[in-house]
Amino acid sequence: MTNRVIEVEGLRKRFRTRRGPVEAVAGIDFQVRAGEFVGYAGPNGAGKSTTVKMMSGILLPSGGRVEVCGMVPYRERKRLARRMGVVFGQRTQLWWDLPLEESFELVGHLYRIPAAERVARLRRLEEVLALGPLLAVPVRSLSLGQRMRAELAAAVLPSPEVLFLDEPTIGLDVEAKAAVRDFLRELNRDEGTTVILTTHDLDDITRLCSRLMIIDHGRLIYDGSVEALRTAYGTTRVLVVDLAEDEPVQLAGAVLARAEGRRRWLEFARDEVSAAELIARLLAGHEVADLTLEEPDIEDIVRRIYRGETRPRR
Amino acid sequence: MAEHARVYLRLAAASVRSTARRPAYLAARTVAAALIVAIEVAGVVLMLDRFGSIGGWRPPEVVLLFGLAFTAQGLALVFGDTLEADKMSELVRRGTFDQVLTRPASPLGWVVTSYVDTRFLGRMLAGAATVVWATDRAGVTWTPGRAGLAALAVACAAAIIFGVLLAAAGFTFVTVQASEAVNVFIYGGQYLASYPMQIYGSVLRFMFVWVVPLGLAIYVPALGVLGRQGPPGLPGWLAWLVAPVAGAFLALGGLAWRAGIRHYVGTGS
Amino acid sequence: MRAYLALLRAGFRRQTSYRLALAAGLATNAFFGVVRTAVFYALYRERDQVAGLDVADALTYVWVLEGLFAVVWAPWFWELAEAIRSGEFVAELLRPGDPYLRLLVFDLGRTLSVLATRTVPTLTVASLLLPLRLPGTLGGLALLGASLVLAAVVSFQLRFLFGSAAFWTPDYRSLFMLVFPVLWLASGFVVPVDFFPAPLRALVDWSPLIPLLMAPVRVATGAAGVALATQVAWVATLLLAGRLVLALASRRLVIHGG
Repeated sequence: MTNRVIEVEGLRKRFRTRRGPVEAVAGIDFQVRAGEFVGYAGPNGAGKSTTVKMMSGILLPSGGRVEVCGMVPYRERKRLARRMGVVFGQRTQLWWDLPLEESFELVGHLYRIPAAERVARLRRLEEVLALGPLLAVPVRSLSLGQRMRAELAAAVLPSPEVLFLDEPTIGLDVEAKAAVRDFLRELNRDEGTTVILTTHDLDDITRLCSRLMIIDHGRLIYDGSVEALRTAYGTTRVLVVDLAEDEPVQLAGAVLARAEGRRRWLEFARDEVSAAELIARLLAGHEVADLTLEEPDIEDIVRRIYRGETRPRR
Repeated sequence: MAEHARVYLRLAAASVRSTARRPAYLAARTVAAALIVAIEVAGVVLMLDRFGSIGGWRPPEVVLLFGLAFTAQGLALVFGDTLEADKMSELVRRGTFDQVLTRPASPLGWVVTSYVDTRFLGRMLAGAATVVWATDRAGVTWTPGRAGLAALAVACAAAIIFGVLLAAAGFTFVTVQASEAVNVFIYGGQYLASYPMQIYGSVLRFMFVWVVPLGLAIYVPALGVLGRQGPPGLPGWLAWLVAPVAGAFLALGGLAWRAGIRHYVGTGS
Repeated sequence: MRAYLALLRAGFRRQTSYRLALAAGLATNAFFGVVRTAVFYALYRERDQVAGLDVADALTYVWVLEGLFAVVWAPWFWELAEAIRSGEFVAELLRPGDPYLRLLVFDLGRTLSVLATRTVPTLTVASLLLPLRLPGTLGGLALLGASLVLAAVVSFQLRFLFGSAAFWTPDYRSLFMLVFPVLWLASGFVVPVDFFPAPLRALVDWSPLIPLLMAPVRVATGAAGVALATQVAWVATLLLAGRLVLALASRRLVIHGG
């Protein structure tokens, strides 16, 4: 018995731009089973939002097949909208000038949630997301972190089968991010909601997703477990050093990824050598004008996966 | 179906509540809108009193036309103002329309209920008051038949305006277009329809009936309310066209809207 | 002096760039002008003269109105008030020189553009197709031109005064909205002021709104002297008023810090 919530086969989307036709999505295949927590990553312009738009029914594919909850999204957009939740990181689905509780009420009416059920569900969500004191506050007065929690509550209030999240943790502080992640983890675990999380944040992925899909230039270049990613790159850090003099740098435990003028990018595996140790070794042998610590970004990882590397070079 | 309507009513109520933050400003807007209607009517009265009549119609009879036209315009714009080209192109440009499409509601219903401009409520009410005043001065006694005709005039004219707004909104999905054309239709059409048709030469009469049927929708029922005969050359069967024409405008507008959305979904803007 | 000429040119260039809006605006003017013309023809079918105006006067009124519409009710009406509200205007006050004159000249550049691209074409085409009463001599046309420019100046001065309410209250729009209908009527944009009943007309003839439309109409139809004098007198009066307001506002800004 297939419990495939999302089925995508040979999906393509071609746009006609001033520079000629552009294939934003060039043939993608994947299936998502109920209850999976899938991370969807890729560089900007890779085709992530295009895919999500086709899955939610607001964009017509140029070719291929897509089915969500057993429906063809662009044909049954309204019906699908009832079973699906969407949260856009930057934009709001709430009513800006009204107290938060009115937004929840309206969502209840919109999705035809019986009042009793809505109240009960809302009470639980309020607790988990600490929304109690915010209910009477107009949405426009909420901080970003508070608003994000409210958006999530509103999106899951109708108990959707599938939840599409677009950069939900962007711009949030550490505490707020943790709150959002905890909530999503519980939601997925307790209610079996299938979650598609589009994000640039590697921590989001490593902490929440059991599966990761990476898209680049309209093609799926990785579809597999997050574990592999975590072992390979989750612990990589980059030490960016501005040397006092343009000289070669040779450090045990670090690999020179890039050099420009007096600036060096040194990659190291955090579980093998600590940043402090590395800095100490560096300062012992060189005069340093400035240094910063960077996390690898998704572009980096995509590049490496695309080149078939599975571990940072030593 | 009724349940559907209730949801949209709630959404509209929420929009009204959203704007109620500044009640003084809202009230000022509404009163100002009503004042504009009053002033326009006052001007017409001032002018017609000097001349005595126009095209054989006495001042209160002309004012009735003004009243019906303003009421219809106000009614159409209460709902249709959100479809105005500039607002729609902003919706599309900002990507906000994507969100509209992810809701379990008709995009038209959502857009229309997203903002309720009380200015047009003011216009409507002032227009209705004008109708009452004009018919009183013209010595018209209200019968259910006459009331029905007045309602028909307002409803059909409003439907025609709304249909045009719908169609224009549908076009904004496909191309950036000048909203001025629509504005000329809505405001120029209302002005055109506020004078009795017989004063117009053949070109304007043609526009009155065929291009901007607002004129027809207001004039023909008004004849019935005033107990007047139309000018010679106006075929009697035109009276039967008013409602179907209004319906046609609504239907065509709806088709253009749907086509616009299909285009949006197809190309993703 | 050169600075002011540059400002004038800048204003002119700024306004001429709105080409799509121009075409649309001309179409609107044409439509309303045609309908109003039809209305007046119908009105004058049985009478030759009413309140001292005959059909030619009335038609001239209609087309001067359409021509001047965008000059008087400028689409950039609230720019000044918004600049005041946003605090940008303070920079203008801090610059050396005469801020009022600078604003006037820049605005005049814009209104001259409107006059050139809308008013003159509208009037010219209308005069070719309809029996308008326009001056036949070059001197007369020059006077008409001067009158149109004066109308543009008064338009700025009044817009400045209304916009400057923003120095004192954020509700400047609400206040204006309630007053606007009366201004609309009293300036003659609904019906010619000549049709007002005598007491009302006497009152309105003394308002600064007359220079906006009725004065240019009168210059066109023959009573140039009084009309032009009225315009000049109001330009001078409003200049003083504007300067006074600006001085009060500057003091307020200095004391309250904007």
